[in-house]
Amino acid sequence: MNIPRSIPRLAAAVALAGVGAALLPPGKVRGLDLDGFARIPVLEGGRVKPIDSLARNSLLMIRGQQSFQHLGRTVGADEWLLDVMFRPDVAEEQQVFVINDPEVLGLMGLQQASSRYFAVKTLAPHFDEIQRQASAAKQIDSKQRTRFQAAIVNLFERLYLYYRLQATVQLPGTPGLAAELASISTPEATRRHEALVHLAAFRPLPPLAREAPEAWRSVGEALREGRAGAVAPGLEPLARLASAYDANELDAFNTAVADFNAIAASRLPEASRRASLERLFNRVQPFYAGMVVYVVALLVLFVGWLWKRSILQPAAFGLLVAGCAIHTAGLVARIFLQGRPPVTNLYSSAVFVGWTAVILGIVLERIYRKGFGTAVAAASGFASLIVAHHLMGDGDTMEMMRAVLDSNFWLATHVVTITVGYGGTFLAGALAIAYAARVHFSRDPNPATTRSLVSMTYGVICFSLFFSFVGTVLGGIWADQSWGRFWGWDPKENGALLIVLWNAMILHARWGGYVREKGIMAMAIFGNVVTSLSWFGVNMLGVGLHSYGFMDGAFRALGGFIGSQLLLVALCLVPRRFSGWSLRSRRAELHG
Amino acid sequence: MRSLARVWDALTSLKLTLVCLALLMVLVVACTLAQVEMGTFAAVHAYIRGLLVWRQVPGTALRIPIFPGGGLVGLLLLLNLVAAQAKRLELSWRKSGLWVVHAGLILLFVGEFVTSGFQVETQLSIEEGQTVDFVESPRQMELALTEVTDPVYGDEYGIPDSLLASSTRIDVKGTPVSLRVTKVSGDNETNVRAVYVEPIVNGRSYGTRLVSNALEAPESFAHEGRTWTLSMRPRREYLPYSLTLKKFQHDRYSGTDIPKNFSSLVQLKNPARGEERDALIYMNQPLRYEGKAFYQASFGKNDTMSVLQVVENPGWLLPYISCVLVGAGLLVHFMFALFRSLKRAVAVRAGALVTP
Repeated sequence: MNIPRSIPRLAAAVALAGVGAALLPPGKVRGLDLDGFARIPVLEGGRVKPIDSLARNSLLMIRGQQSFQHLGRTVGADEWLLDVMFRPDVAEEQQVFVINDPEVLGLMGLQQASSRYFAVKTLAPHFDEIQRQASAAKQIDSKQRTRFQAAIVNLFERLYLYYRLQATVQLPGTPGLAAELASISTPEATRRHEALVHLAAFRPLPPLAREAPEAWRSVGEALREGRAGAVAPGLEPLARLASAYDANELDAFNTAVADFNAIAASRLPEASRRASLERLFNRVQPFYAGMVVYVVALLVLFVGWLWKRSILQPAAFGLLVAGCAIHTAGLVARIFLQGRPPVTNLYSSAVFVGWTAVILGIVLERIYRKGFGTAVAAASGFASLIVAHHLMGDGDTMEMMRAVLDSNFWLATHVVTITVGYGGTFLAGALAIAYAARVHFSRDPNPATTRSLVSMTYGVICFSLFFSFVGTVLGGIWADQSWGRFWGWDPKENGALLIVLWNAMILHARWGGYVREKGIMAMAIFGNVVTSLSWFGVNMLGVGLHSYGFMDGAFRALGGFIGSQLLLVALCLVPRRFSGWSLRSRRAELHG
Repeated sequence: MRSLARVWDALTSLKLTLVCLALLMVLVVACTLAQVEMGTFAAVHAYIRGLLVWRQVPGTALRIPIFPGGGLVGLLLLLNLVAAQAKRLELSWRKSGLWVVHAGLILLFVGEFVTSGFQVETQLSIEEGQTVDFVESPRQMELALTEVTDPVYGDEYGIPDSLLASSTRIDVKGTPVSLRVTKVSGDNETNVRAVYVEPIVNGRSYGTRLVSNALEAPESFAHEGRTWTLSMRPRREYLPYSLTLKKFQHDRYSGTDIPKNFSSLVQLKNPARGEERDALIYMNQPLRYEGKAFYQASFGKNDTMSVLQVVENPGWLLPYISCVLVGAGLLVHFMFALFRSLKRAVAVRAGALVTP
């Protein structure tokens, strides 16, 4: 066996095995079949999903994380949801509400302390005041709200979500669903049934035989119907599940979970298989795993540039390919789960932009074999998955498409092409940054390597111009198809056009000989600014001066990114003698 | 002669291309930012459609041009493109991709000029069971004089608001009625228009009336057994065919308010052509008929009324052709470039292997 040739394969195999371990079935938590519970399909937000997705998205919205520490133990989203629904007293002790705004804390007489997380019990005495302030703030247009107003509305909405989750299966403060079933036709039950209908955060009961596949019921609806006739078959195991969890009867809970899952599996086998797969996808977190592998690849490569390059550079490439395989698997799983092309919202565009850049980087590395392809691909993959990770807090990332956007054909053509264009432009920018860093800080400025970096960048700019132009015009054609206006000069269209114009300018400036190597590279770095503005900036338009709301953090992040890119443009343009490395090497030349 | 050559040189230079592209970028950014305050229509009008961008000097009524507008930059870029193509680009297979790209771009520019010059956008609101044979302008209004002597069949005469504003006495052709306009006022924001008008038939005045689209009931007057009404309404264009809304559908995703689908099932009747057929208009699926395209735009009245956007644009096909041309041209050109650079890279690598 040829050792050096198999290095990339070995490195990739190690990374894949590490991530693959997550595919193994998880053990029981506290003796509970939490995985079985997590796979229960429910209808929420117009689509069937495992209760795991609902739990994770809710906890993300409330706490900004998918799990938390409580009494020295990590509590996952599913366990948290079980506590919220069936052991409200326990859940109210858990510190899940993140509150950053000092004025909101001040309203409740709380000080900013080391922990930003608060238990429902702590907030409970202030519910009336929070509601009063939030309803006052809601009168104001969301774009005009002050930071305090935005934060209080946000807190109120999270508390309301918590309250609805709590009151989906049984009302808090009542004896529970089993008692509800026993007293189903008593006159006072009606009011409770209506409250459950009104508050339900999701619908756990699958449609009955011969009903349409979307006809899911909330517990309240099923109880309401049960007053007059037969009770929906899911209510009985759900009641057992609830009381077994509360009483900590492990076997009873696990049997109830299996019985409840069996109903959906027999009625809608396809939907429940999909829900199980989505649960697996949530558990493996391929984009998070991919992000980690990309970072490792990058670190291995950097170390390799200082030490044992012949082994570490190929190993880094192998890791990059493994990261890309995991990333790709995640994308494919999303496409299958959603039944849609890969890009449907801002979150998925970030995932896809990174994927494009990684694929391009791998191709470049195969052609040039200088290590730069690997570096730039791993860095772009990592950066875009980080961005995607931060975009997850808005709720379900596989939400249903509004009617205007509901066109797989245009999502697959226009949206994918334009996102490939974004990815390409970012990759060109990343290559140019690598060029600038190399010119200033490299110890062996081999001109042939520099030249190949320049030609890589040029090639990627051509690639991006093609995709961003075609994508932009396809967007126009979609607009023509959907409302008869090929080009409306609206912000999103303008953003796309700016990328096309900028890439066209780079190429024409090069063809005219107005800019040389350095100029092209500086322009390519500025391409990052243009692309980030048209990708994220247009979403912040219309956010007036008064707004300090949710986009505040994103706004600052975008500003920081643009600032850093402008510094890099400057770095690219200053002559080499300004940097320390070259001074030292020149001195070495003089004395040597 | 020499100055002419210099103009030609400037017109064909790549520098001009770059300057125009940069100006266009500035205009696009300015137009995007201005939309927050001005709204899309006004911002596009101010920055993109005109030859120059005007700005009012503060404190005076004086308006001075401060920047070339999208029209001027686009025109220059178009001239530059055509001229440079003629002068510089060699006719060779190697450059064939660029030829096709630039031809496609020329078409795209022409398409945008055609759109800005000739595109007409109107609307058609229709309730279930109703038959409509006209479209309405979203911005212009008209004063309608309708003879309602016969309750079934009436003649209509529309007087556009531009004519109302510029004349004091209008003889409505085909009727014995003249109208004396005393005062016109309007608000473009809310699209409310009001006019004081005095109908005169054969020299006899019927008093000054206030007619406005903000008022519910039309004004009416009778003369020798004939009755007319006066009303202010969105400007109409009658069609030689009619649409009947058979069913409007608005579906939501189960358990949510997220719209899943809108569609209008209409019956299209054109007596002149003996045509009578049903058509389903839904998202991304317009009805194209006789140069007009009908799009599902909005809805109302508890999902029993559908609003269709009606667009007439003789240049609508140009971007489609252009997209194909530019896409194919870029592909050809970059493929040539890619092959050359791949060859070089392989050669460099081979060289690196040979030299110790």
